[in-house]
Amino acid sequence: MRPIKILHLYPDRMNIYGDFGNIICLQKRMDWRSILFEYHTRSIGEEINETYDIIFMGGGQDKGQLAVAQDLQLKSRVLHDHMKRDVPILAICGAYQLFGKYFITAEGEEIPGIGLFNAVTKATKHRMIGNITIQSEVFGMLVGFENHSGETELLEGVTALGKVIKGYGNAFDSKHEGILQGNAIGTYLHGSFLPKNPKVADFIIEKAIALQVPEFELKPIDDWLENEAARIAQKRS
Amino acid sequence: MRKSLAITSAKLARSVGSVFNKGGTAMPGLVAEKIDPQLLGKLVKNNFPKGIVVVTGTNGKTSTSKMIADIFTKSGVTYIRNTAGSNMQRGILATILSKCDRKGRCDAEMAIFEVDEAYIPIVCPYLQPKIVAVTNLFRDQLDRYGELDSIAKSFQKSFANLDTTLVLNADDPLVANLGGETKNKPMYFGVSDYSGEKIINDHTADSIFDPNTGEKLQYLQRYFGHIGIYRSESSSFARPKPSVDLVKMHKTNKSFSEYDVKTATGTQFVHLPIPGLYNIYNSLAAFAVGSTVGLHNAEIASSLQDNEAAFGRGEELPYKDKTLQMMLIKNPTGFNQIIQTFLKPKPQSNPLLICINDNIADGRDVSWLWDSAIEDIAGYTGKIFVSGTRAYDMALRLKYAGFSVDSLRIEPNIELAVELLANECRPSQTGYILSTYTAMLAVRSTIASKSGHEVKEMSQ
Repeated sequence: MRPIKILHLYPDRMNIYGDFGNIICLQKRMDWRSILFEYHTRSIGEEINETYDIIFMGGGQDKGQLAVAQDLQLKSRVLHDHMKRDVPILAICGAYQLFGKYFITAEGEEIPGIGLFNAVTKATKHRMIGNITIQSEVFGMLVGFENHSGETELLEGVTALGKVIKGYGNAFDSKHEGILQGNAIGTYLHGSFLPKNPKVADFIIEKAIALQVPEFELKPIDDWLENEAARIAQKRS
Repeated sequence: MRKSLAITSAKLARSVGSVFNKGGTAMPGLVAEKIDPQLLGKLVKNNFPKGIVVVTGTNGKTSTSKMIADIFTKSGVTYIRNTAGSNMQRGILATILSKCDRKGRCDAEMAIFEVDEAYIPIVCPYLQPKIVAVTNLFRDQLDRYGELDSIAKSFQKSFANLDTTLVLNADDPLVANLGGETKNKPMYFGVSDYSGEKIINDHTADSIFDPNTGEKLQYLQRYFGHIGIYRSESSSFARPKPSVDLVKMHKTNKSFSEYDVKTATGTQFVHLPIPGLYNIYNSLAAFAVGSTVGLHNAEIASSLQDNEAAFGRGEELPYKDKTLQMMLIKNPTGFNQIIQTFLKPKPQSNPLLICINDNIADGRDVSWLWDSAIEDIAGYTGKIFVSGTRAYDMALRLKYAGFSVDSLRIEPNIELAVELLANECRPSQTGYILSTYTAMLAVRSTIASKSGHEVKEMSQ
């Protein structure tokens, strides 16, 4: 098996809420299982001319996000190719929004997304901030912290990542959070997201390996500390 | 009439408050504000003939204010000043009320107020400060302050209406940019020579972009986060030449720093008895404020030489027969600075306690732990304890930085954790305690109750 190739998009501009924690988590959980990996980054003006096994992108400040949205259009086709090949994708917060069809700003301006996700986002006046717990059919209980003012609406044919137990989720009064579309996940949860939700981390690693070796079974890791941290985070919400 | 009623009521609220010993310093301010909302402006108008100094920024407000206060004391300038816990509108009002007489007169030439970043637009119109010093701007409690760019924008707007001297960090692009479009004369401080310990796994570069064009800045030197010597390739934006300039770093270690600073009037040697590059920056900000009010280099340097660590900012406290050193951590940049100064230099063997709380004053979101450069101390050999409401989050962060979980001791109860740390210290060894704000208060009260020494918040 060749090394798993991780692509981290715009790490210099989209890194606001401990997004590196997700990369650290993926790397460590591969390390502990002696799975080899490579870490690559692509930012503004840098072409994607290879294929990757995992794609990750985080959130940014509003100002940083505009320039990224424009550049992302140039990467749209190759990202869609990855999506079609079932490459696992994780998009947090701002990335979740930009991977949708469009984003409407507070001023009513429409910023086109790349339409990887069948979803749209609109800016609102209220900021949705706080600890959040969701129940996912695939992953069970997931915890995180959300901080966004955009409301994301899922369109036909896609499912949410989970049901909101505590917190806001996709919108101020929505019952759902995030999106799970094939092997691609979009979510407002940070905290960082993956370290306290190791099942999602392992899902991404498993799907990445499956691109080369179907039916590959991951060696289990003792996750008592991860689970305990998640349990406490849930209690604090 | 309204004003004097407000002052009297506030003074009454204060004495009632002190009977119950709650230490709620903003209470009298709240009472006075309810009776006369304009009181802050009125009080300031008739007081502080030599002007007000405002100190703001993400990190270093308290330490910088303390240094400025010490410089003023040494030079015979009379002043009043607020504490870190009262750096919002009501706290500032309460501070003035507690120092003035019933007619609202304060016996002080100047005032030094550290001001919470979110309150700059609110208090500046009232205070009309003569000097505003901005230490730096980093990501900090995004759940509370919002994004950096919006803070910078609100500063720019607030300063535009003032007649003031802006004392700005030349090495922080976002802060330096505040001096660009202002009628107020900026006075820059900066470090032109540094060759100490550096952080490798630095994820805290918040503002490495040209504020005008959005292009990436070119860094000739990067000291930490986005602090360094930079210039833009796409516009004329560049690090301004500091007028208070650290031109030669002689020595910087875990206890002190020594450097030469160049100003308009000459080059001055400074011995700063508290460690860390972040404190060097704080001292340069204080130096620049001292220069602005017309003090001489030598008298500023002689005051800095006597500086002691501010509340919870590297101060050493006795606990039974041991010494514990307290470091406040609030955000990844602050955490990295503590790593750079205390944890990274060899032998990395001091017992260490990290207390992470997630109360409102700490920031409810603990994701910043993942942006901190814990990987830089993966070889730390001293015993590590973790505590606080988010002890398990910190333990998890350490696990993913390569520490074995079995080597860590998790004790969410802060009182017990301090005891464990002290027991781990050999007689001559200092135990390090890194903690978020409310955790630090808990640590201090533990130390105060056990040590027999009185540990109280500094009073001015």
